[in-house]
Amino acid sequence: MRAIDHYAWTNRWRGRHPAEKLLPAFGLLLLTLILPPPTTGPLVLATVALTLAYGAAVPLRALLAVLAAPAAFLLFGAPFLAVSVNFSDGPGLHLSPEGLRLARDTGIRALAAVSCLAFLTLTTPLADWAPLLRRAGIPAGVVELILLIYRLIFVFAERALTGRRAQVARLGYSRIDRGVRSTGLLAGNLFQRALEQARRLEIGLAARGYSGELRVLSPEQPLSWLRLAAGMALVALIGVASGLLARGLS
Amino acid sequence: MTGSLLAVRGLEYVYPGGVVALRGLDLNIEHGRKLAILGPNGSGKTTLLLHLNGTFQPTGGEILLDGRPAGYDRRSLNQWRRRVGLVLQEPDDQLFAATVEQDVSFGPLNLGLSEAETRKRVGEALEALRIAPLAARATHTLSFGQKKRVAIAGILAMRPEILVLDEPTAGLDPHGVTHLLGALQQLHETGTTLVFSTHDAELAYAWADRVAVFHDGMVLCQGETAAVLGDREVMRRARLRPPLLLELAQLLGESETGGERRSLPRSREALLARLRERLATADGRDGPVSAHRPRRAAE
Repeated sequence: MRAIDHYAWTNRWRGRHPAEKLLPAFGLLLLTLILPPPTTGPLVLATVALTLAYGAAVPLRALLAVLAAPAAFLLFGAPFLAVSVNFSDGPGLHLSPEGLRLARDTGIRALAAVSCLAFLTLTTPLADWAPLLRRAGIPAGVVELILLIYRLIFVFAERALTGRRAQVARLGYSRIDRGVRSTGLLAGNLFQRALEQARRLEIGLAARGYSGELRVLSPEQPLSWLRLAAGMALVALIGVASGLLARGLS
Repeated sequence: MTGSLLAVRGLEYVYPGGVVALRGLDLNIEHGRKLAILGPNGSGKTTLLLHLNGTFQPTGGEILLDGRPAGYDRRSLNQWRRRVGLVLQEPDDQLFAATVEQDVSFGPLNLGLSEAETRKRVGEALEALRIAPLAARATHTLSFGQKKRVAIAGILAMRPEILVLDEPTAGLDPHGVTHLLGALQQLHETGTTLVFSTHDAELAYAWADRVAVFHDGMVLCQGETAAVLGDREVMRRARLRPPLLLELAQLLGESETGGERRSLPRSREALLARLRERLATADGRDGPVSAHRPRRAAE
């Protein structure tokens, strides 16, 4: 998670208007969902990897890290689509050509779809989504809460980490039962500190005139219609190429 | 007492649990000063500071703003906090937004300023603390010293008349301290009154022009820096040690030149220069003190 967050904040396209990234990514996602996967999937994956690497300067390694978890899930899940249980000549498992195709298509499609979302999370930090969320009609209070949670996750993750280190230093995890006890103590401690933190944050915000609304400046990211059009053109191109390839293959 | 921007009269505070934190203290904060509130840990410094912007309401005594008792209704509090900016000790208690720029913009927007004016103020505040390049950075990726400066910038962007800082140098390395004090000095020169708490008598001596020594919820002594810090009895009672610089300066016999208290060296550089000067004159006057050095070189 730390790695994703790091690239989201430091990639070359960080300063671009989120819509320039959101719409093309959704375009690709749509292609993945409606066009035949064997050609669209690899094309979309390649497009995402290349734009990330050469456009946003996010290394392939980061994309692979994000895709690793869903890929592992697919690796275990997809094979079950390939087999079918058949009772016609006694109960048994059968591999069918359709089953194999289904497994392959589902796997590729899912991975390509996840890569579209990975593109978004790797190029746009959560904070940049706030104005879009507000414009989409999400209540201000909910958006504020999302942003506050995002900020505090890091504060508490830091505390949890140092707390655990301090426990390890005093052999708190030297046996399984001690480990369980230490984890419980740490969780209780973090809960208490979360309450204290909330109280102090309230004081800090009050000192700056907090009156129930966490209003801050929106980032200055002018929307470039040119870049957005280029992105959508690329999506259209992938769609056409994928269609042609699919026809050529069949 | 005419110059008192903010004054505390007989302030008492008892925490809801029954712990007595402040027991009837008086304090004057005069316009254009740098006041250090000096006291050991647990002496009630933070509790006092939380009264200075109306966060806590005293259980006894009162706080005067421009000589008039401060009110605790929403309107008065807003006015009060517009004039008195409080920076907490722990920056994570204050920074809530995802980016530096957004966080600093919170205060000015609450003052009802326009977006354009807010942007201008954010830029100025970041510039004043020399962290302009951090504007677009994520708050959680900053170092402690950077967070501390962002927290100060967040208050600064509201342009308070009095800037109150709780232990501003705690947790900073010497470089960070120098950097921060430089920025604060600049602010002071542009007319901001500064109040800061510390347990570091050296810092108070180097930097404040007034000191209030704090002990066990009371102000033991308040006045001009060198006079207060040089008072051994007060310092002993407050469980503090007089600054080494001041003691050395006094040893140097600055006082015997008469009426030259102001010229006591306030920084290590100044003291070292004075020492060198003194050694050099001693050299000329009575040889034995350091005369062996050139002789040895001649051997």
